[in-house]
Amino acid sequence: MESSLERYFDQTVENDDHPTNDSHIFDPMIPYDSDLLIQESYYTPQLLQVHLSTELTSADLSFLSNDQEQQNDDEEGKDFTDQQQMIKHCQLLSVVKNSDGPENISHLPYQLTNQGIGTPIGNESSSICPVSMTPMTPVTPMTPVERSGIYPQLQNIVSTVNLACKLDLKRIALHARNAEYNPKRFAAVIMRIRAPRTTALIFSSGKMVCTGAKSEEQSRLAARKYARVVQKLGYPAKFLDFKVQNMVASCDVKFPIRLEGLVLTHQQFSSYEPELFPGLIYRMVKPRIVLLIFVSGKVVLTGYILQKEMSFLYLNSHLYDTVLDIAQVNIHNRTLMPEPFIKVWKKVGRSQNKRVGGRCAHEGKR
Amino acid sequence: MAYQLYRNTTLGNSLQESLDELIQVLLQFDKAINNALAQRVRNRVNFRGSLNTYRFCDNVWTFVLNDVEFREVTELVKVDKVKIVACDGKNEMESIWTCLGETPLFSFLV
Repeated sequence: MESSLERYFDQTVENDDHPTNDSHIFDPMIPYDSDLLIQESYYTPQLLQVHLSTELTSADLSFLSNDQEQQNDDEEGKDFTDQQQMIKHCQLLSVVKNSDGPENISHLPYQLTNQGIGTPIGNESSSICPVSMTPMTPVTPMTPVERSGIYPQLQNIVSTVNLACKLDLKRIALHARNAEYNPKRFAAVIMRIRAPRTTALIFSSGKMVCTGAKSEEQSRLAARKYARVVQKLGYPAKFLDFKVQNMVASCDVKFPIRLEGLVLTHQQFSSYEPELFPGLIYRMVKPRIVLLIFVSGKVVLTGYILQKEMSFLYLNSHLYDTVLDIAQVNIHNRTLMPEPFIKVWKKVGRSQNKRVGGRCAHEGKR
Repeated sequence: MAYQLYRNTTLGNSLQESLDELIQVLLQFDKAINNALAQRVRNRVNFRGSLNTYRFCDNVWTFVLNDVEFREVTELVKVDKVKIVACDGKNEMESIWTCLGETPLFSFLV
């Protein structure tokens, strides 16, 4: 007899994958009354509403026996309250952002520095102080264009988990659906599911790598589904040490970036070899994130700092601001910037710089 | 209850020998059909459908497709479900397709 949880999960797995061998031994179910709602932790650009993921991790799929699991879930619960504080900080940020004058804005984004995020650039520390804007001086910008505009979108999450039992890969490949196993090429079964759309590498030791998910919660859910498939084939699969290993996000600053200028000012962090790779590789020290910055203004961020995706994105938004500042240094220095870029920069918006000489054609585009 | 003890008798052994000859016939059939498909089949068929499942094990691909259209110049065949078992030929993949839900059996050299 199965709980509703078990039935739901079986349905989703069967839609993806009908293992032909149905002989399996179930762990005794914990009855689960409430409806199972899968809510991924969305990240809305408006910053005003953030959906923290539901209690999916602690409540679902508890048939996979796992002592350490429960501990992890407790920790996750605590960390969410910290995030809520961060959310409040950032809300404050967005509210005051619209107020006049550079002075008010200066201290705001850097409340986050209390949380251990430092701006990695030495000479950018003056960005904390209000700075007067004159056209030709290379100044540190005090009013970044859009502080709460664009946030990085997660593109890929790589995670690992230990199923804690030896597996017969040939048998798994024969009985599971959507599986590939070519031992001459690679000593693992490559299995895929449709929802969430992910790929897993399952090794004979029982360890598994799950890639392709768009959020931490989805990655965990997908890993659970793979463990379920393995369990249905008769193995006593557990779900130990689930850990996100890497996250990749991308975003667009919406204006061209002068990479040569960037590498000049931040040479200890940047490496740029256009003949090798068209993007500039910016290795931020704290937090440890690598950014690939392209001339078009597209930025790819990768690395994994904290356990929580939300923190990752918040930190990344802070990094985005920092990069924006870095890039704007180049923009403000007009001697370095070619004509077309100046036009684009004007269009994107420096409406807050009232003291800048020259025409300001219109308010900055949002 | 029926013992296999009596196989090792004159009668049983003669029967075994006759049956072995028949198995040789089957092996001969295997060789002949592989040869014929490799040498004598030249036509080309296109097919398109949606993939339900796939499997790759022991160098054998197994696909299950849904709502498949087999298109040859002369004719068009639509099928709800198709199972494709593809083994590795030396250079080419030789496929034997069975249509589930319809009777025709198609063999094509891919």
